Parts: sequence; structure tokens; C-alpha cells
Amino acid sequence: MADTSVEDLKQQFHAALDAARTPAALKALRDDYLGRKHGRVTALVKSIATAPPEDRRTLGAAANTLKQQIEQALKAREAGVAADARPADALDVTLPGRRGWTGRRHPLTQVRERVEDIFMAMGYQVIEGPEVEDDWHNFEALNMPAAHPARDMQDTLYLSSPVPAPDDGRAATLLRTHTSGMQIRYMEQHEPPVRIIAPGRVYRRDNFDATHTPMFTQVEGLVVDEDITLGDLKGTLNAFAEEFFDARVATRFRPSFFPYTEPSAELDVECQGCSGRGCPLCKQTGWIEILGCGMVHPAVFEAVGYDPDRYTGFAFGVGIERLALRLYGVDDIRMFYENDLRFLEQVAL
Amino acid sequence: MKASTSWMREFADLPASADVNEVAARIADVGFEVAGIEGEVIDFEITANRPDCLSVRGLAREAAVAFGVSGVERPEAPGSGRPDVPGPDVPVTIESELCGRYALAFADVTVGPSPDWLADRLASAGVRPINNVVDVTNYVLLEMGQPMHAFDLARLAGPEIRVRLARAGESLTTLDRQARTLEGSMLVIADRDRAVAVAGVMGGAASEVSASTQRIALESAWFQPATVRATSKRLGLKTEASARFERGADPAAAVAALSRALGLLEEMGAGHRVGRVVDVYPSPQTPRAVTLLRPHLDRLLGDQVPDQDVTRILAGLGFVTDAAAGSDGWHVEVPTWRVDVSREADLIEEVGRHWGINRVPATFPALRAAPHRSDSGVLRGRRIRRVLCGAGLQEAVTFTFMESAAAAPFAADSDSLVTIANPLSEKFAVLRPSLLPGLLDALIYNRRRDITDVRLFEVGAVFSVRGEGHRVGWVLTGARHGHWSDPHTEVDLFDALGVGDLLAEAFGLAWRSEPTEDTAWFVPGRAAALRAGNGTRDDRVGTAGQILPGLLVGRGLPAGVTVVGGEINVDALRAAAKTERRVTPLPRHPAVLRDLSILIDAGLPAASVRGTIRANAPATLVDVREFDRYQGKGVPDGRVSLSLRLTFQDRDRTLTDAEIQQALEAIVGALSGTHGATLRGN
Repeated sequence: MADTSVEDLKQQFHAALDAARTPAALKALRDDYLGRKHGRVTALVKSIATAPPEDRRTLGAAANTLKQQIEQALKAREAGVAADARPADALDVTLPGRRGWTGRRHPLTQVRERVEDIFMAMGYQVIEGPEVEDDWHNFEALNMPAAHPARDMQDTLYLSSPVPAPDDGRAATLLRTHTSGMQIRYMEQHEPPVRIIAPGRVYRRDNFDATHTPMFTQVEGLVVDEDITLGDLKGTLNAFAEEFFDARVATRFRPSFFPYTEPSAELDVECQGCSGRGCPLCKQTGWIEILGCGMVHPAVFEAVGYDPDRYTGFAFGVGIERLALRLYGVDDIRMFYENDLRFLEQVAL
Repeated sequence: MKASTSWMREFADLPASADVNEVAARIADVGFEVAGIEGEVIDFEITANRPDCLSVRGLAREAAVAFGVSGVERPEAPGSGRPDVPGPDVPVTIESELCGRYALAFADVTVGPSPDWLADRLASAGVRPINNVVDVTNYVLLEMGQPMHAFDLARLAGPEIRVRLARAGESLTTLDRQARTLEGSMLVIADRDRAVAVAGVMGGAASEVSASTQRIALESAWFQPATVRATSKRLGLKTEASARFERGADPAAAVAALSRALGLLEEMGAGHRVGRVVDVYPSPQTPRAVTLLRPHLDRLLGDQVPDQDVTRILAGLGFVTDAAAGSDGWHVEVPTWRVDVSREADLIEEVGRHWGINRVPATFPALRAAPHRSDSGVLRGRRIRRVLCGAGLQEAVTFTFMESAAAAPFAADSDSLVTIANPLSEKFAVLRPSLLPGLLDALIYNRRRDITDVRLFEVGAVFSVRGEGHRVGWVLTGARHGHWSDPHTEVDLFDALGVGDLLAEAFGLAWRSEPTEDTAWFVPGRAAALRAGNGTRDDRVGTAGQILPGLLVGRGLPAGVTVVGGEINVDALRAAAKTERRVTPLPRHPAVLRDLSILIDAGLPAASVRGTIRANAPATLVDVREFDRYQGKGVPDGRVSLSLRLTFQDRDRTLTDAEIQQALEAIVGALSGTHGATLRGN
């Protein structure tokens, strides 16, 4: 009888403890069970005096254990509730969080890697090469012999004296005007099929203005195999334009001239600013020129020892700054080289 | 090249309904970009390979094919002339093979203003009318693309014409009133005594046609493109004539152009031909023959252009086609004005651009072989950028060339700088020997715009007379932490060293930093050499340190700003780096940590302490790390308190207190014996 009442009391206490989640509720619970006057455990202890003598010892021990257990449970819960209580010094959550420094890739790098990634996904290998070049790789092998008028298209910066080149006997005499020299090197060292892109800095003796700097960034591509057609060039560059501009963008090819391709063309994409209706960005034409391209000139194949009767190929060259101007809505190419953090920190992380 | 549509219509039967915009658009579609349209005048950009289209006739020919209409052939007649007036006897001698043809005609003229229609046409093409004789030569140049020159015959000594190389030191005052000293490589037109014109570039002032001129000698010639180009460049003199000759004039057009000019003079009542035309043409050029094979055409374009379109396009452009006997294709004779066409691919381009590249169906090339892996430098660059951007550094892109004064402090010696022969200006005179000067200029640029916390890096090429190398460089200034609640501390040498550490880890490189004295751009005593490998002389892969304040002030940074930086030769990383590393299984037994605080001489490098500890510890010591360094109250002068945390661990068992204690005692004993170190707090 007495055991049962002790056990009942214990169960009732734990049920009540589960519900007591505030300091006030815990105080009430403590009073209810351990209060000196009306506490239920206190009452139980008092009742021992009236119990039959043979039960007193057992009952006394059980009541005492219960009292200690309740005391312990209350203390643990009281400590927990106190720790979770609202601290006196509330923090101002409207202050900025601590985020550490962040760095971004330069916008020209972001655009260049995006172009690289698109072509890598199409099975292209990204190659690199020297920025100081020899005349053969920059001009001669590209069907631009000395005194060729096309050399005027790319006014060249020359070194005062030649600098040794790492990979072959020819000393570098100029700053490369395009990355095509890397393609020549690659073809000199590899047999077709070829599917490469060559990104890098290039140099021309252009004065600074909003659309020219004497140094800029190019990505050139080259595909050589049996039966590569102008249609393949179109399909490849259309796919690139769609992926780069992230839209079904209209393209058009205009015949043009480069000494190292025949036929040659410029690729225009529909102006994103006006959807082709005409705006100041596209000089009212509805089109933006993004790259030059063409079928590799047979003289280039002859220069690297490929059989022009067996192989055909296409090549293209895209100016990264030109793409970046469009992408970021910048109107002055010089901003890319000022490294003003107020500009650089606006591009994506 | 500016051309009016009405002028073009004289040579092409263009539809009356086509307005100037449509004409411009059609010609643009076949490869002649339109720079602008004003009234009925279209300004075309002519690519370097098409000198034949630096003429109204050439553009009209393209327009006719683009519209699918016929061209207008107009044989040029020299007018009836004055057979009753005896012509002059002027011997013409070509003394250099740089002149391929020289034709000369004579006319008696009344010099005066041109009629309005002719003056207007010249003006619309951007050419200033001068007098009727000069205007006629300019008119023929614009219409036919053949440059001409009129001499006042009375002012030619002899009179005779000699086409020869200039004599060394010979001088000539050209039409623009500039006295020019000629060189022995330059081709000139001379009379009996002296040079009277720079061949293909500009005539001389002394024999110029003037109001008093009565008889002219009209020159129409062909000069080798390379010589005109070289002379024009050397003299810094570009003219309408030199632009055409240096790209390649039509040798066959010389006499037809004379006829056209003489006919015009007579038609205008400005003069008439006298005597006969002198034509010295030692080896007349024969038209080139090129074979165009149908399979090659189809293969390059990826499209099948019907036979009748191939022949229509080529014939319209002046090519003579003949179905090749017994083979699938054509024998094609190239007109002499098409200096750009010499092989089959050139003909395919002609067909392709008039057929329309936009009509060719787009296809995608088959991948026949597995793609190769990209060059290691490309992947390395991406890894460096990922690591340093993650560490809070901003990538910069600075110019490869710079002024000599900015570069020199960073060069091994001033002779090692690579200089540019024809720089834009002194600001861009040398190639950078290091990435640091460009980065520092960018840092200072930002500081001067009140951006105080700057952390920049760049990956790129550097140059010396020994060749090109590749590096990553970084510079840091301002606060170490950016949060309002952090105590303000400025970056110091250890921030710069930490960037190097990160890169070392990224490339799986074990390295160490050592004091160095041979970096002239760092503050002495705050400069480190970063070494990889086993301590051989050439294992230095980079440097880090605090930039000399004087150097920064010299570049425009206010005094008192601390800037640190570093640079690593990534060509060395390329050799050492592994992109993937195997991991070690995690230990099953707990590690034991022990902290050690010792007093040592302030000048003793931490690396020595670390070395002594490792040399005297059992193999179970897996890590030694400094966590505090203190000088001040409680530490005697000249001494420093260094605290290190040692980590002991064994893969196979739990270490006992006794063996740890024993190891510590051995370490402390060695530190004491080797460095005079004493345990602190004991």
C-alpha cells in the first residue's frame, strides 16, 4: 500500500516535470512536492509516523530515496532552464556578420574560363604558349611573309634584342599579336586530328582608347581533320554562341579576310541590348561582331607539314575583352586593367 | 573607300528599285563592311587583300554579282586627240625590275577648275578638287583603282624619264612641300638630272602641274608592292596611290587608265592627246590559271553549289571558266586585277561568299579521337586562382609592359630587362621582370582612392633576357581582419608568408622559409626565401617579405603604410606538383598533446628550435607547432618566450604517460644543451 503510493508519487512527479519548462513552473513544482507545509513528499514523510510499525523502516527508506531523486531532477532541470534563459546582454542582430575576406577571379579570367569550359565540353584541349614569339610562328607560318600588307593589320611590338625561347631554336623577337603561334607549334608537334583552343594575352601597338589597349586577351580555336567543312565551323560557333549567351541567339556570318584562313568570315550575334531592333550598342545594326573565323589556309598546312589535300580545318579567334564588355555592360575596355576594387568586386564570386 | 551608287551604276546594271541602303547591304553581305552611308555615298572598309575594290569599278563588279545582274563593260577610248600636232620625243628607261610597267601619254591642256559634276564626285569620295588635270588623274584612280601622275612636261629636264633607285643622299621636295631625303633602296621617277617623283607614293613639287602648264606627261605605271610599301613606311607618307600600289595594282590597267584620262580631258574641253603613248612593259603578265575541283569545293564548304551558280559567280567577277576536260571541275583563268587569287581555296572563297556562308547548313564535326588533357599550366593557373580567391585575395590583371623605373628595382640587374624596340611610350618601355611592380601600382591606385584594405594577386608571365617565366605574385596592405568587432591589426610579413604556405600545400610541396639578403625590394631582415626540397642551391621557388617603404613612396603611396608581398615561380610548381594526393587512414589511438614554453635567445630562428626538437624526439612526435611568442614583462632582455605544442601519436597503440615524459625530458635536455633554452614557469 505504502509502496504503491511512493511509486505513484514518483510517476506523477516525472509527468509534471516534463511539463514544467519555465523557472516559475519549476518553483511551483518544487513547492508542490517538497514544500515544508503542503509538499506531497513532506506529507508522505509525515505519514510514516502513523504507519504500522512493521512498515515504517521500508516506507521511510523509500520516501527518502524519492525525496532525493526529486531534488536531483529538479536541480538538473533548474540548471538547464537557467542556461537557456534570455541573457542580460542581447546582441544587435542588425550589425553585419563576420565573413572574412573574399576574393574574386578577375572578370577577364571569368569570361576566358567560361569560353574554355564551353570548348572543353566539346572535346577541345586547352593549350598555352609563349607571349614573346619568333617571326615564323607569329607571321611566316601563318601565310604572312615579310612585307605582307596584312602585317599592317596587326601593328607589332618588337623586342630590342632577341630573347631565348624555351622549346625550339628560334629566338623570340616580338610580342605575339595573336595566339595563333601556339597552334602552329601544336601542329608542328602533333598529327591530326587536332581540336584545341589557345587562350592568352596578345599585344598590338594600339593607342589607348575606349575600345583599344595595347594588350588584350584572345582565345583562338583550331580543328583539323579529314573532311572538316565550313558547315562544321558554323555548327560549332553557333553552339558556342548559344552556350555563352545562354539563349537561342541568332547569328550571321559575313565574309572577311585573314591571311591564314580561306574562306574567312566574321561572326555576328544578334544584339542582346535590343534583340536585333537596333540600338546605340550595336550602332543601329541589330548585330554585334564577336569573332573572326575561317577555313585554315592550305599554305598554313604546308608550313607545318600537313597534307592540304588530305586535311581541312577551321580556326577562329575571339576577343575576351569584347565579350566581357557585352557581358558586364562596361563601355570602356581600360576598366579591365585599372584593377579598381570598386569595379572588380562587382563581378560574381 | 567611298563610292556613290550613281557612279557604281555606270558599271553595273543594278535594279532601279534598289536604294542606297540595299546596295550597301548587298555589298556588305559579300565581304565589304559598310562604315557609313551619307546620301547616296557608301563608305566601305576594304580588306587588305582586295586592292581591286579600292575602285568604283571593282565595287560595282561585286554589286552586279550580288544582285545577279550583268556588269557594264566600257572600253576606254583616248579621244580623237590632235594628230596634226607633233608629239614630244621623251625616252622612257626602266632601270630597276621594281618597276614592271611604265606608260606615258602627252596632252596639251588648259589648266583651270573642273566642271561641277567631276568636282562633286571627287568631293563625295573625300578627295579635294585642285584643277582639271589633277582632278582627272584622281577621278581615274577612284574609278579604276589605277594611280596616275601628271608632270608639267616643260619642267622635266631632257625631257626624259628614268625609273631608277634613288641615289644615296638625293633629296626631293614632294607635293606636300616636304623636303625629303631619299635612300638608295627607294624607287624614284627621275628626269635627265634628278628625281621628280617617289615612285608610287607622291610626285615632286618642282614638276607639278600649275596654272601656267601647257603640256603634260601623264604617268600610268605598275610598281612592285613591297617596294612601295617599304618606301611609304620609311618616309611616313601614305597616299591614295601608295595604298593601291602596295596592295597590288592591275598591271594590265595602265594603258586603259591613260585612255580614260585622255578621253575625260577631251570630253571636258580641258585638253587633248598629242603624240603616241609610250608603253614600256618588259615582261607582260599572263593571267594565272587555277583548277577548281568539284569534290574540293563541296568538301570545304560542306554544301553543294550548283554548277550554274559556280560559273555565274566566277564569270561575273571576271574569271574565265572552262569545264575541265575529263575531270569534275573547271579550269579558271584569274583576271589580272585579282592579285589575291592564286590557288583553289581562293576560288572556293569566291564561290562561298557570293553563294552565301549563311546558306551553308550548320553541322558539327565528329570527334574521332579521345581529347587530350589540357596543358598543365592551364590547370595550374586555375588551381592557384581557386586557392587564393578562397583565401580572400582578389585577382588582378596588370600590363605586361611598364616603365623602366618601375621595373628596375625588381630586376636581377638592369641588363636583364627586356626592352621594347618600338614602345607606345616610355610608360611601356620594358617587359615586367616580376609581377610585384604591377601589383604594387594597382595597390597604390586603390589606396589613393581611399580603399585601405587591398589584397591582390596575379598569375602571369615575367621576362628577362634569359627568357620567359611564369609566376604568381601577391601584395597585401591594410587591416588583417575586416569586422567591426575585431581589434585593428595591420597585415605583416606573416600574412605574406601564409599565402606562400597555402600555395605550397595546394601543390603538395614541402618547403621552408629562410632569411635572405638578396631581395633588394624587401626591407632587410623582413625578407624570406621560400625553398622547396633538400636545400640545394637552386631550390628557391619564391620570396616573401615587406616591401621597402621608399620604393612605395616613389610610386605614389603616402609614407607610413605597410605593404607585404611575395612571389613564387610556378614553373617550379609545375614540376613538383601532384594534383591528387593519397590520404593516410585516420589513427585509431588517441594523440597526446604537450605544451612546452621555453626561454631562448631572441635571435634564434624558430626553425632551429623545431629542428632540435625533431632530431631528439621519438618517431611518435608527429607535429610541432608554435602557438605563442612573447617578449616583455617577465622575460629577460635579449630573450624571448616561445611556446610550442607537440603532438605525439602512434598508429598501433596508445602511448603511455611514462614514455611521453621521457621524450619530453630528452627534448628539453637537447634544447637546453644546444640553445641554452630554459623551461619557462619552472
